[in-house]
Amino acid sequence: MSAQKKRNFKIEAFKHRVEVDPKYADKTWRVLEHAIHEIYNHNASGLSFEELYRNAYNMVLHKYGEKLYLGLVTTMTLHLKEMCKSVESAQGGSFLEELNRRWGDHNKALQMIRDILMYMDRTFVPINHKTPVHELGLNLWRDNIIHCSKIQTRLQNTLLDLIHRERTGEVINRGLMRNITKMLVDLGSCVYQDNFEKHFLEVSADFYRVESQQFIDNCDCGEYLKKAERRLNEEIERVSQYLDAKSETKITYVVEKEMIDNHMQRLVHMENSGLVNMLMDDKYDDVSRMYNLFRRVPEGLSTIREVMTAHLRETGRQLVTDADKLKDPVDFVQHLLDVRYKFDKIITTAFNNDKTFQNALNSSFEYFINLNNRSPEFISLYVDDKLRKGLKGVSEEDVETVLDKVMMLFRYLQEKDVFEKYYKQHLAKRLLSGKTVSDDAERSMIVKLKTECGYQFTSKLEGMFTDMKTSQDTMQGFYASQSFDTGESPTLAVQVLTTGSWPAQPSAPCNLPAEILSVCERFRAFYLGTHTGRRLSWQTNMGTADLKAIFGKGQKHELNVSTYQMCILMLFNSSDCLGYKEIEEATEIPSADLKRCLQSLACVKAKNVLRKEPMSKDIGEDDAFYFNDKFTSKFFKVKIGTVVAQKESEPEKLETRQRVEEDRKPQIEAAIVRIMKSRRVLDHNNIVAEVTKQLQSRFLPNPVVIKKRIESLIEREFLERDKTDRKLYRYLA
Amino acid sequence: MKRSSSRRSGVSSSSSSPGSCDLLRSGSSKAVSKETERIDQLFYTYMDKPSGMIDPEGIESFCSDLEVDHTDVRILMLAWKMQAERQGYFTLEEWRKGLKALHADSISKIKKVLPDLEREVRRPTSFMDFYSYSFRYCLTEKQKSIDIESACELLSVVLGYLFRHQVDKLVEYLKNQHEYKVINMDQWMSFLRFCNEINFPSLENYDPNLAWPLILDNFVDWMREKQNGSLGLKSF
Repeated sequence: MSAQKKRNFKIEAFKHRVEVDPKYADKTWRVLEHAIHEIYNHNASGLSFEELYRNAYNMVLHKYGEKLYLGLVTTMTLHLKEMCKSVESAQGGSFLEELNRRWGDHNKALQMIRDILMYMDRTFVPINHKTPVHELGLNLWRDNIIHCSKIQTRLQNTLLDLIHRERTGEVINRGLMRNITKMLVDLGSCVYQDNFEKHFLEVSADFYRVESQQFIDNCDCGEYLKKAERRLNEEIERVSQYLDAKSETKITYVVEKEMIDNHMQRLVHMENSGLVNMLMDDKYDDVSRMYNLFRRVPEGLSTIREVMTAHLRETGRQLVTDADKLKDPVDFVQHLLDVRYKFDKIITTAFNNDKTFQNALNSSFEYFINLNNRSPEFISLYVDDKLRKGLKGVSEEDVETVLDKVMMLFRYLQEKDVFEKYYKQHLAKRLLSGKTVSDDAERSMIVKLKTECGYQFTSKLEGMFTDMKTSQDTMQGFYASQSFDTGESPTLAVQVLTTGSWPAQPSAPCNLPAEILSVCERFRAFYLGTHTGRRLSWQTNMGTADLKAIFGKGQKHELNVSTYQMCILMLFNSSDCLGYKEIEEATEIPSADLKRCLQSLACVKAKNVLRKEPMSKDIGEDDAFYFNDKFTSKFFKVKIGTVVAQKESEPEKLETRQRVEEDRKPQIEAAIVRIMKSRRVLDHNNIVAEVTKQLQSRFLPNPVVIKKRIESLIEREFLERDKTDRKLYRYLA
Repeated sequence: MKRSSSRRSGVSSSSSSPGSCDLLRSGSSKAVSKETERIDQLFYTYMDKPSGMIDPEGIESFCSDLEVDHTDVRILMLAWKMQAERQGYFTLEEWRKGLKALHADSISKIKKVLPDLEREVRRPTSFMDFYSYSFRYCLTEKQKSIDIESACELLSVVLGYLFRHQVDKLVEYLKNQHEYKVINMDQWMSFLRFCNEINFPSLENYDPNLAWPLILDNFVDWMREKQNGSLGLKSF
C-alpha cells in the first residue's frame, strides 16, 4: 500500500483572455456619470438599476475601481457646488428651507448612488481604505455646503437668531429647526458642536446673564425663582424638540450657572423675600422651588441648609431665652413643638425629606433647647400638664402622638438626668393627688422613656406605680380587718411610699386632728403588724382631704383641701375665731406653708371659707381668722386651691441642680473606672471622649468635672499618672 | 488602706540603697563595728530616754550642734537619708542607716559630708525620690494630704532653690485661691513635673489636654490672666 504512488491533482483556473475594449473604462464611466447627473436632476425613473449596477461591478472587476471612485468624487462635488450656489442665493427666511430641501435631495441621491455602487463599496473601498460612499457623500456635503464661507456663519446666525426669537416669545418652525440640527448631527457630532452647539451655549450664557440681571433687579426672590424654573423647563423642552439630546446637560448647566449659581447668595438673602422670609411666611411652594433649583448647582443645597440652620437656631435661641415665654412652661414647650412641627413639614414637603436637612434640624434643636437649662424642667411640666388635664377625653392614638412629640424634644436634651429628677417630682404629685388623667398614658410615657434610656432610668418611676398599687391593696386589707363600724370616723386612704423611689421631701410632720390621729394609729398598728421591721413616717405635706361642712344657712358643701388645710379647718370645729399664732401653735405647720394655706382659705374669692381680719391680701402674724358663716358657692364640691406643680423657684432650682451634680459624680467615676478597667492605659482626651460617650444618654459631663473625678480616683489610688508620658493614666488593679 | 500601706513600703524599699557603698569600702569588721558604736553613741546623746527615740527636742539640739537651723532643707535631706518615717523623730535604726550611708559618726564628720549630701540630692534621679519623700515626711498619721499653708512652705524649702520663679508664683497662686484647701500627693508630684517640663514663664508648652491635674490648669489660667493683665497695663 505504501508503495503506491500518490498522485496529486492540480486544478487550474480556466484561462481565457478577456478582450477588453481599451475605451471600455471611459465608456462605462460615462454611462454611470450620466446616471449620477440624472439622479441629481430628479430623473432617475428612466434608469435601469440592474444595468448600472452591472457596469459599476464590471469596472471594479476590471480594476477600474480607482477611476470609478475618483469620478464619483468629482461628479458629486460638481453637483454640490451647484447646490451651494442655490442655497447661497436663497433669500432671508427661505435660506433654511432651501438648505433643508437640498439636503433632502442630496440624501436621496446619495442613497441611490450607493445602491448602484454597492459592489465598489463592498470590495474596492475597504481594500483601498477609502471612505465608504455614504460617508463620502456626507463629507462632501459638509465641506462644500456647510463649510462654504458664505453659508457657515449665515447658518449659525440664522439658527441662533431663531432660537433667540423663540425665547422672546415668537413662534418658529420647529420642524425645520429639527431637520437642520439633525443634519448637523448626521454630519458628525463635532460638526454639530463646532457649527452650532458651541455658539449656542455662548449666546445662551450671554442671554441669561443679561436676563437674570434684569430679573434679579426687578423681581422678588419667589418671582425670580418662578422665572428661572420656567426658563430651565423651556430649555429642556427645546432640546427635546429640536436639538441633540446630548445638549440638554450642557444648556441646563448654562442656565443653572447664569440664573442660579451666580445669584445664589443674593437670592437666598434677598431682603423681604429671601429664604428666611419664605420660611417665616410658610411659602412652601417657593421653598420647594428653591430647593429643586438649587440642588442643581454645587453648594446650592448647602447654602439653603446653612441659611435654614442659622434661621432655625436664631428663632430657637430667641424662643428659649425670651423671658416672656419662660413664664408659662406649657406654652414654652408648645412653642418648641410648633417650631419643630413646622420645620418637619417644610422638610417633608419642600425639601424632599432630605436626610441632611433633617440632621440640620436635629442639631439645631439640640443646640438651642440646651441653651436654656430649664428646658428639662419645662418639658416635664408640659407632660405634667397634659397628663393632668390636657389629655382628658382624647383618644388613645392622640395621646400617643402627643407623647411621641414630647419624646422627640426629650431626645434633644443633654441633661436627661435633670429631666428624670423633675419628672419624678411631677409624677409623684400627680400620683399622690390622684390627678392623673389616664393610667395607660402614664405607663405609655414610662415605656417610652425606658426604650429611650434603658431600665435604670425608669426603675424608680416604675417603683412609684407599684407603691400606688400596693397601697390600694393595703387599704382594702386595712378596712377588711377593722371589725368596728367605720361610719363615724373619717375614712383614711394611706399611700405607702418606698423611701428612695420617691423624691425626697424632708418635712416636719404637723399635728393632726385627734380624729385623724386615731385612725392613723390604727393603720400604723395594722401595717406594722403585717410588715415587721418597717418604719412609717407621715408625709403630711403631700396629702389631701375631703371635708363636709355646713354653713350659716344650712347649706352643705364638700371641701376638697390639702392635709394642712384640713388641719387648720378642723380647728374651727371647736372655736369660731383663732389668731395666726394660735393656729401655728396648734398645727405646727411650717410658717411658709401655713401662710400659703391660710391665703388660699381666706383670701380667694368664692373659696373663702375663712374670714380674715384685717382684710388684706397677705397673711400677717397678728391676723385673726373667723369661720365664714356667709360662705356661698354654686357648687356642692368646692376645691380649695392647692399648690400645683409649678416651675421651681430660684433656690429650689439651685438645690435640684446641686443634687443633680452630686448624683453625677459617682456615675462619672463609675464610667471612668469601667473604661480604665478594660483599657488599662489611656490618655486624657480619650478618657474624656469615652466618658462623654458613655454618659451622653443621660447627660453631657463637663470635661473639668471629669478631670476632677479622675483626680479623685488618683487620690483613692484607682488610677495613677504615667511616670513618663504626660498624657497617660494607668489603671491600678 | 491596705493598698496605700503596701505602696508606701514599696516606694521606700526601692529608694537608693545606702548599703552599696559599704560593700565597696568593706574595711575590717572591727572598724565597722567601731563606727557603729560611735554612731550609736551619738544617737544616745540626743535620745529621749522614755521613748528610745530622738524626739523634736533632741533634733533641735542636734541641729544647734550642727549649727544648722532645724527648718533648713539639709535637715530634711538627712531625714531622707535616714528614711525617717515620722516627722520630728529619728529611731535608732533610721539613725544608723543614715549615718552609715554617709560614713559619718560624729558631728564634725556630719558637717563635712553635708555638701556631698546636698550634691547627691540634687542629682535628678535622687531628687524625685527626695521630693516625694519630703511630702510623705510631712504627713501625719493617716493623712493623705497636707494643708495649703504647709505645702507652700515645704515647696519653698524643697523646690525653691531649684525653681525659684515657678515656686514663688505657685505659692502666690495657692495662697490666693479658695478652691483647694489641701494638696495631695498627686498634685505635689505634678508640681515637680511642671517645673521640670514647662517653660517658664511663657508656659507655651503647657497643654491642658494632657493629664495635668486641674489645680495646674487653674494655675496656668491664673498666670496667663496675670500676664495679659500686665501686658494690658504696659500698653497704656
